[in-house]
Amino acid sequence: MSIYEGYLETMTAVMDRIVHLIEENSRRHEAEHGEKLYEHLSHRIKGDDSMREKLARLGVDPTARNALRAVTDAIGLRVVCLFIDDVYENVQLLKSLPGCSVVQEKDYIRNAKPNGYRSYHMILDVETDAPDVDGHAPGHYFVEIQLRTIAMDTWAALEHELKYKKHIANPELIAQELHRCANELASCDVSMQTLRKIIREL
Amino acid sequence: MKILLAEDELDLREVVTAYLEYQGYHVTAVTNGAQAVEKAAADAYDAIVMDIMMPVMDGIAAMRAIRAAGNTVPAIFLTAKSQVADRVEGLDAGADDYLTKPFAMEELHARLRALYRRKREYKVRTLSFGNLELDTEASELRAHNTIGLALKEVRLLSCLLSNADQALTAEQLLTEVWPGEGASEEVVWMYVSFLNAKLQSVRANVVIDGDRNTPYRVRMI
Repeated sequence: MSIYEGYLETMTAVMDRIVHLIEENSRRHEAEHGEKLYEHLSHRIKGDDSMREKLARLGVDPTARNALRAVTDAIGLRVVCLFIDDVYENVQLLKSLPGCSVVQEKDYIRNAKPNGYRSYHMILDVETDAPDVDGHAPGHYFVEIQLRTIAMDTWAALEHELKYKKHIANPELIAQELHRCANELASCDVSMQTLRKIIREL
Repeated sequence: MKILLAEDELDLREVVTAYLEYQGYHVTAVTNGAQAVEKAAADAYDAIVMDIMMPVMDGIAAMRAIRAAGNTVPAIFLTAKSQVADRVEGLDAGADDYLTKPFAMEELHARLRALYRRKREYKVRTLSFGNLELDTEASELRAHNTIGLALKEVRLLSCLLSNADQALTAEQLLTEVWPGEGASEEVVWMYVSFLNAKLQSVRANVVIDGDRNTPYRVRMI
């Protein structure tokens, strides 16, 4: 039995709807400006084991209610863009979607985390006709979205690997160099963004 | 040790060169301030020995340009002038010491040794302005966030910060950051654009004014 019980189908529908809206917007942008608004878009329902593990870590019971209310990342999307400005264009779209409200947003691009992590995080409350875990209809589901550039995505992949590695010889040195890489990648992202603007003004 | 000597009088140039080379220094001798600025940017020297009165560009203007480019190499002025005002101007331009002509070669040598001892302590590593810190060693710009900088960006920003609130023309910046590279003024504008975007991304309360047609100036917002 899934931890999400009978809500899995609605969750998938909610996720597909948001994915579809982001894709549609990008297609519209491509028709107008000749390029997509993102490079790739991935999405997932958090796996059963991983959700149970997270709830145990939080010290709450592994119930569908907790999976959909105590945590907000049961439904997760990641939008990876070529340029920083494209990230913010997608953010604007997500803020304007009908039937969605922004519960939380964190701009770790303008406020990088101390380790160098950069990304834009949003939590949406998405309304749907189907009932939710509180028994309300229309129901409400959380969707967590991470938006970032390819450079930020590459960095996050490596940092993730470091975080889950048990024994590392030089953790401080690696963290320090990883931080330097984050600053250099950010430097390139900003320079590329600036060059794109200059090219388009020509 | 490498010494850059700028002296337009042939006799003195040859005597100083011969003496210092005899003492084991490697001497690059030039005849005016513009050549000194060019050499100082192109190569790393342990000390500069420079005349004040020279054709094309005088020693004081050359010293200012060398310092504005972020170069902190120890420097001694040789001057025929004995007025206090000239010495003050020379020291304010960034020289560390001066010798009035005529001088004894032994004294020049002793002053070079003294300066070299202090070279390490002298080095400026971080430039601050507003909420901004430019770490020239790590090539990093820090305010609310940190971002990396390319070498030319570090030099350009050092130059602007050392002359904060002063207007610098693209031509001046080219001489100091891209000396002898045949770069166009367009490159200055492009690097100013990079720097402005990076200042914004670390949320610095600092901006560089100016564009292709006007001089550049760094100021607090």
